[in-house]
Amino acid sequence: MIAWLRHQKHALTSSLRRLGRQPVATLLTALAMGVAISLPSGLYLVLGNLGKLAGDMPAQPEISVFLDFNVTDVQQQTIAARMKQPDIAHARHVPKDEALAALSQAQDLSDITAGLTQNPLPDAWVVRPEDTSRDALTRMSDELKQLPGVSETHLDSQWADRLQAALIIGHTGVWLLAGLFAIALLAISGNAIRAQVLSRRDEILVSRLIGATNRYIRRPFLYLGALQGLLGGLAAGSILAIAGWMLRAPVENLAGLYGSTFQLMPPTFMEIALVLGLTTLFGWLGAWISVTRTLRQVEAVR
Amino acid sequence: MIHFSQVTKRYPGGHEALSGVNLTVEQGELLFLTGHSGAGKSTLLKLIAAIERPTSGSLTVSGQNISRLSSGAVPYLRRNIGLVFQDHKLLFDRSAIDNVVLPLDIAGLDRRESLKRARAVIDKVGLLNREKANPISLSGGEQQRLCIARALVGRPALLLADEPTGNLDAGYAADIMSMFRDFHRVGTTMLIATHDDRAISALGGRILRLDHGKVEEAAA
Repeated sequence: MIAWLRHQKHALTSSLRRLGRQPVATLLTALAMGVAISLPSGLYLVLGNLGKLAGDMPAQPEISVFLDFNVTDVQQQTIAARMKQPDIAHARHVPKDEALAALSQAQDLSDITAGLTQNPLPDAWVVRPEDTSRDALTRMSDELKQLPGVSETHLDSQWADRLQAALIIGHTGVWLLAGLFAIALLAISGNAIRAQVLSRRDEILVSRLIGATNRYIRRPFLYLGALQGLLGGLAAGSILAIAGWMLRAPVENLAGLYGSTFQLMPPTFMEIALVLGLTTLFGWLGAWISVTRTLRQVEAVR
Repeated sequence: MIHFSQVTKRYPGGHEALSGVNLTVEQGELLFLTGHSGAGKSTLLKLIAAIERPTSGSLTVSGQNISRLSSGAVPYLRRNIGLVFQDHKLLFDRSAIDNVVLPLDIAGLDRRESLKRARAVIDKVGLLNREKANPISLSGGEQQRLCIARALVGRPALLLADEPTGNLDAGYAADIMSMFRDFHRVGTTMLIATHDDRAISALGGRILRLDHGKVEEAAA
């Protein structure tokens, strides 16, 4: 057990020393990995931010019900009674005067609304059904339209549905990219380790002759691969941090133009830890595959 | 300690390096292997260290059957065997003492203890003032002594030397051989392949002459 720990420590320190002795090669490999990793993780962050942007708006699908201008009081009451049914989670009555006041205030259209001789807006209800599945929404929208005194219904969920569908495609894209770049990571790590194994051919052969086990020979290369992966992950983190820093001002400026206080959302600690863990794992895995293959070659030509 | 029974080694391609060798080496014995080059001296040593496997016959080393030894067990067999090579096989990317420490690192010894033992054995081969030097800066004789230090640092019960003085002039060769005599006196079993007759007569010990892969004669 103690010998095992000693071996681990020895392999780790010798790998660190080896990385330090070849700073340029180490840096280049880390950069190649960093670029590869930053693409899927960057896309992931962009989608996360879009999701947050979408989340800032009313996410609950709602149906707007617009009434006829000449709606009677009886019809009004029937409609109000319908809105109290249990299949409706929430219904809010928006009288036309209130709607006009809100409109002139929100969009700064008081000049225009002041010039109106009569209110062009209808009375309306904003309805949130209990069941928010797409089918149920459409059914309720159609049903409410049939009520006497209702001129038109409008399903507000469409844009949210579309954004949601786009985000799902985006997330699939992230996984696709992540898979592809994981393979790239394996290849980059494997290639770097292969060069290392070949350059240490003599050491491997001599160590074999004086009683080194497979694991002893493999270990420093595995550490090397894992460390390279970790450095690659850190490089990706730096690339994204710089990109985020450069994008922050323009994004906030754009958001400001839309009257939003939206801010770029940085990755969480867990997400950073996950990316670093995965790059370390894939660096290790690439090294394992490469060492196993290359050792067989090295030892075949004795 | 070592027992060959009808051991034959045929290399791919058909060359038969050893044919039907019978040989027993007792614990603490000093045995010289002689014969023309290509007689099978190196092959015999390689079989003992499981660098090559016998084609037929049975070979046991320290009670272990080499023909049936799993590849996972080979490293542990080799840790009990010190190997001295004609071409030294030193590593030029590290200092002399780091070369000597390597077998102890592999065995997983404490680093400080390893360095202490390495320094002691380097002292014994007379290279203490060169321990920090890169082996490439050492002379041929010094490199061979360093190789011997590396073979002995793990305190092996068995030392195998393949032409240890092959590349050295007479003065260095005598030096190396007297070093072997000292280690033999403390009980290490030794097999030395050489065609240096002066060395053999200086050290005494059993002689095994190989001719075209066959044991020709054994003289006391």
